[in-house]
Amino acid sequence: MKALKRSSLTDIIGLGLIFGVAIFSLILLVAPSIIVLIISFDTRAYVSFPPEGFTLRWYGEVFQKSELVESMLNSLQVGLTVTVLCILLGVPTALACVRGRFRGTTALSVFVLVPHMVPGIVLGVAVLFAGALVGVSPSIWLQSVAITVFILAVMVRTVQSRLMRLDPALEEAAANLRATPFQSLRTVTFPLLMPAILAGSVFTFVEGIDNLSVAIFTHGFRDRPLPVELLALVQYTSTPLVAAVSGVQIVLAIVALIAVSLTIGLDNVND
Amino acid sequence: MADVTSSPAISGPGLGEKTLDLLLSGRGIWPAVPSIIVLVVVAVIPFILLLSLGFSDIEVARGEIVSQTFSLNHLTNALSDSLYWTTFKRSLSLALSTTALCLLFGYPVAYLFAVGGRWTRRVILILTIAPLLTSGIVRTYAWLVILGGRGVVNWAFLKLGIVDSPLRIMNTHWAVLIGMVQIHLPVMILPLVAVMSRHDNRLIEASENLGASRLGTLRTIIFPMSAPGIGTGAALVFTLSYTTFVVPQLLGGGNYLNAATMIYEQVVFSLEWSKGSVTSLLLMVTCLAVLVMISLATNYFTGWTKGRDA
Repeated sequence: MKALKRSSLTDIIGLGLIFGVAIFSLILLVAPSIIVLIISFDTRAYVSFPPEGFTLRWYGEVFQKSELVESMLNSLQVGLTVTVLCILLGVPTALACVRGRFRGTTALSVFVLVPHMVPGIVLGVAVLFAGALVGVSPSIWLQSVAITVFILAVMVRTVQSRLMRLDPALEEAAANLRATPFQSLRTVTFPLLMPAILAGSVFTFVEGIDNLSVAIFTHGFRDRPLPVELLALVQYTSTPLVAAVSGVQIVLAIVALIAVSLTIGLDNVND
Repeated sequence: MADVTSSPAISGPGLGEKTLDLLLSGRGIWPAVPSIIVLVVVAVIPFILLLSLGFSDIEVARGEIVSQTFSLNHLTNALSDSLYWTTFKRSLSLALSTTALCLLFGYPVAYLFAVGGRWTRRVILILTIAPLLTSGIVRTYAWLVILGGRGVVNWAFLKLGIVDSPLRIMNTHWAVLIGMVQIHLPVMILPLVAVMSRHDNRLIEASENLGASRLGTLRTIIFPMSAPGIGTGAALVFTLSYTTFVVPQLLGGGNYLNAATMIYEQVVFSLEWSKGSVTSLLLMVTCLAVLVMISLATNYFTGWTKGRDA
């Protein structure tokens, strides 16, 4: 028990150090975004700190560049497709994993996780090669399906963990009241699963929009998604245009964050 | 629920309804069948093909494979190529140091979350989740602005008189490491915070009531209980930083090669698909090996805590 002896000086120094690092880390998380926001209003055509002057010119250019707008729309489509597919495939799978009365429920849960454990870049290469072998060339659909397979595990896991914490008595009560399994699923289980499905959707949607590792190998030549377009833009543009794109994203992220905290609550996202 | 009395369940369901109910109740494997089919077609079969490509000589013409014969050439070539060894060693050390630094910077945040009140917790959650909602490329771009020749760091250093001429930070190993740690920090913090919020706070109170110092409580109560979170966070950060090519590509300049950028060049630019397959397989195998070690270590420490409880 001597390790538990109270020693206030080391306590103060140690805690001071820990809290100091914690605050540094928290600043580190947001400072880069704030600096990018500041740069995005600079009047000069090159990136330099501190900025001189204020202009909205770069934000205007973001929406005038047709390939950028197109890539945003492409990514939006991918994000929505991935989310819908993940809900349609993932929710029933989670149900089978938790409620299933067959041998191999554990094996099923593990199997669903495997594509997510494999590095995205490896999955991307594999899907590209397999597609080439059967004559399916990269396209927005191949990209959507590949990302769905990559991120499906997150939806399954989120719904699964919620399902495991549901009180079985609720469904039993429904069964005792002579509800068919479908009725009890629709009126009891589903509404209780809604927060988990929404939280999972946030992740799958963001992944659909943001994924680069899978997308870079599977996207169509003509419909480039936003991350691929951005990667090229960052490498070959020296104006604050990219900062303005970042600014748009940061604003959208804040809106999304507020929406999430008002609807499902931040605690439910991270579970 | 109003239509319960009129439901067919009372009169005894027919075979079709029984199947439907079994399907919907989720007690059979049926609800998972669509997923299984999709995963087999889009993940399992492609992986087998990747494996077969890595172990064969192929000819590619206009994006399609024309001939394929079995050979171990690509694997032996890769293993005898010193470029592979240096590249994989670089990737591994970069990913491991990123993971260690993320833990070093992330754990204090999680501790602050564990001992903090409602508002502290909310601020931590917002600051951690917000960056994950913006693109990784955007977050990497921020470091171009910060570390560049006319960036924030050089501006501050020149102003403070620490240096006379701008430092060259971009396109170095340090730029890549700094970017890696900051970009993956939220991924480390989130699992830690999740574990902390499941803690019973009365354990911390009890420990302090029994006369333990704050640091003693951290070491003997909080730290062992958060071992699973550390394992999850480390596994996530390692996988992501070991297999990313955005950060090395943008902050390391064109000549900073890690395993991921190597695969990208082989597949997209030089169209050496067999080589790319072998590199992908090596990346996957080494990544899984480290993940297994992380999970063994986590189990060891978690088991140790449980053993002490008994």
